[in-house]
Amino acid sequence: MNRREVEQPDHVLPTAGREDEELLRAVEKPGGGFKVTFTLLALVILGAWVVFSRQILFGLGVTGLNQPVAWGFYIVNFVFFIGISHAGTLISAILRLSKAEWRRPITRMAEIITVVVLAIGGFHPVLDLGRPDRVLNIYTAGRLQSPLLWDVTSISAYFMASTVYLYVPMIPDIAILRDRGARPQWLYSFLAWGWEGTPRQQAVLERAISILMVLVIPIAVSVHTVISYIFAMTLQPGWHSTIFGPYFVVGAIFSGIAALLVVMITLRKIFHLERYLKEVHFSHLAKLLLIMSLLWFYFTFSEYLTGYFGSEPTEMRVFFYKFSGPYAPYFWGMLMLNFMIPVLILSFRRTRRIPGILIASIGVVIGMWLERLNIVVPSLANPRLPYPTGFYVPSLVEWAMFVGGIATFVLGFALFARFFPLISIWEIREGRHLAVPETVARIESYLPDAAPARAGTEPEGG
Amino acid sequence: MMARWGMVIDLDRCTGCGECMAACHQENNLATAGPEETVQRSRAFHWLRLMPEFSGRYPEVKLRFLPQPCFHCDNPPCVRVCPVQATYLSEEGIVGQIYARCIGCRYCMAGCPYNAKVFNWYEPKRPRGVERGANPNVSLRPKGVVEKCTFCHHRIMRAREEARAAGRPLRDGEVSTACAESCPAQAIVFGDLDQPGSRVSQLARSPRAFRLHEDLGTRPKVTYLAEKG
Amino acid sequence: MEREAGKQPDHRVIMVLQVASVAGIWAFVLSIAVWILHLLHLSHRLHDVPSASVAISIVAIPVFLTGAAVLTYVFVGLRRGRSAAGPDRVEGKGR
Repeated sequence: MNRREVEQPDHVLPTAGREDEELLRAVEKPGGGFKVTFTLLALVILGAWVVFSRQILFGLGVTGLNQPVAWGFYIVNFVFFIGISHAGTLISAILRLSKAEWRRPITRMAEIITVVVLAIGGFHPVLDLGRPDRVLNIYTAGRLQSPLLWDVTSISAYFMASTVYLYVPMIPDIAILRDRGARPQWLYSFLAWGWEGTPRQQAVLERAISILMVLVIPIAVSVHTVISYIFAMTLQPGWHSTIFGPYFVVGAIFSGIAALLVVMITLRKIFHLERYLKEVHFSHLAKLLLIMSLLWFYFTFSEYLTGYFGSEPTEMRVFFYKFSGPYAPYFWGMLMLNFMIPVLILSFRRTRRIPGILIASIGVVIGMWLERLNIVVPSLANPRLPYPTGFYVPSLVEWAMFVGGIATFVLGFALFARFFPLISIWEIREGRHLAVPETVARIESYLPDAAPARAGTEPEGG
Repeated sequence: MMARWGMVIDLDRCTGCGECMAACHQENNLATAGPEETVQRSRAFHWLRLMPEFSGRYPEVKLRFLPQPCFHCDNPPCVRVCPVQATYLSEEGIVGQIYARCIGCRYCMAGCPYNAKVFNWYEPKRPRGVERGANPNVSLRPKGVVEKCTFCHHRIMRAREEARAAGRPLRDGEVSTACAESCPAQAIVFGDLDQPGSRVSQLARSPRAFRLHEDLGTRPKVTYLAEKG
Repeated sequence: MEREAGKQPDHRVIMVLQVASVAGIWAFVLSIAVWILHLLHLSHRLHDVPSASVAISIVAIPVFLTGAAVLTYVFVGLRRGRSAAGPDRVEGKGR
């Protein structure tokens, strides 16, 4: 490919210098790997839909759901995927807001996770409907007093805000691709929105980003709070709990960071980003993961201890169903994967390295999925009245859609990496050229002011 | 002068024969779920079910059955959570389900503390010939919607029409549900709880009366009468 | 493969598409607002806890509007900030 060096307007940071060219390689010279990955994933997703067609034809009977356990995998995955989505935008917004300089190579990936996973998770309740053909009833006859409508509202707000929040900081990078003549040219011209990197444009962008990051945090918190309300607003034992909102939010951020770490380690390997994603980034995120693990355990402990100590019979049935009953493997597995293993691995500097972090993160992702399972199913399986409880065994259709959902997640990343840089080039450059003096100045501003110059007025020492 | 329909089930009379369940099936055109669905996959399909209750310890175990229809709560948790108002509390206190509007999210089932609702997991199956003999007053449900006991709403409407045609108010005992009517022990009484003289309102005030999980604040309108002695 | 001449897409078309996409965002946001108001009206008409609906609409509608407003601000800001148009032409708080 002949790539003309574009005549650049000589403003600040318009195009990638040679130093960050490797970030564009995946976009400009996609290898055969992309096509293979794309085809494989597309086949998996197609397969999942083929299996799912049975549900469309015959109804929800093809799932393993039954009379007391009316919700299963679809709802579990809905909560799980939406939880993962907190990785992104929330982490990225908090890191941006707190001016954590190590955020620069991380934020973009985090934001992609949010958008991709939110689209997948948000679709899951539709899979769960007995009459997906009537989904528009929510628009024509919806009732805002139903927690499900709170979800529809807050997830769509989150989806919009996080898409905008992904897109706006991407504009300068898209302009780089446009200026370098990447194809499809119309796409980059369209999306670059006439970015030239003039000071005024930069001011606009910066202000927009700072509005967005403030806007996105409460929306993100609201999303998982409201999802927990779906459960907490019913009277069911094990669900009707006041701490469910913050408990879900903590769990969501927890699983989100873990997913982010898994994604970062994987992409680092695939796209050879070792120069950008260094041990120190993983170490910082891992500490965050450790804190969230402890916080998650604290919430779990409070939740279960209050249930146990109160010993309300219906509550106890659910409790023992998880503690020593059929769900014991999942319950204890959850505690192992979410608390014991990550704390053991991440507490020590020796093991807090990439392989250890990868193990802990994968564990947490699985553990948080188990947590969602432990919340949704046991409460339904142990209703207040001694109904003949059926054991919930997910069917092939549900597993297929689970695999399909994960494949869609990977596909989303593959597509994104094919067309856009995975690491924000302009933010890295900004870090290189502007952030160091800025940070020095900021740190200096934290230091105590110099002693008053007027000597004599104030005696020094005693 | 709105009625407030309710039911009293006298456990002292109930023999657990299951006639109420059968009558309900026939009256309301309930689909049949085969033994595989019912037993292995736990998808028993009843608007009124016999809830088993065990008491005592082995070997002195006592098993009895509580006929359990929808309780038509005055403060129904299922109605509160429905996203499309497919389930509602009517002015006469009947919790109804609009099959044509239900999107099948099953939130009401998850929200009901009594598990009174059932879901059409498949296209409803009916034994050959039953389709033609179906009760014309009760609509058939499609697959993928939630359905539930209606307190035989169609009977109430018909009785009211007849009373109106005759120019008189609806009398107590004139309306009865299929389960109440069929009960050989006459354990089930149906009527207007707001009508002071009605049998159901008198029985509901009996010292033996109790309602299931009243502590939840659901205010169920089905009252049980405890066994004597 | 390379069509040097036709490589630059028509800027008019791109511009129209961009304006259309911003308009699309507004259409989306406004339709959500209309939807929420419709539900509010519905809950009022059906005596179905309008207070919940009021509370949600008070929070939700401004959030959506803010999102669209920020996007529009970026779009207009970037347009005006182009070097051809002359930097700091407009009421510049910039820098």
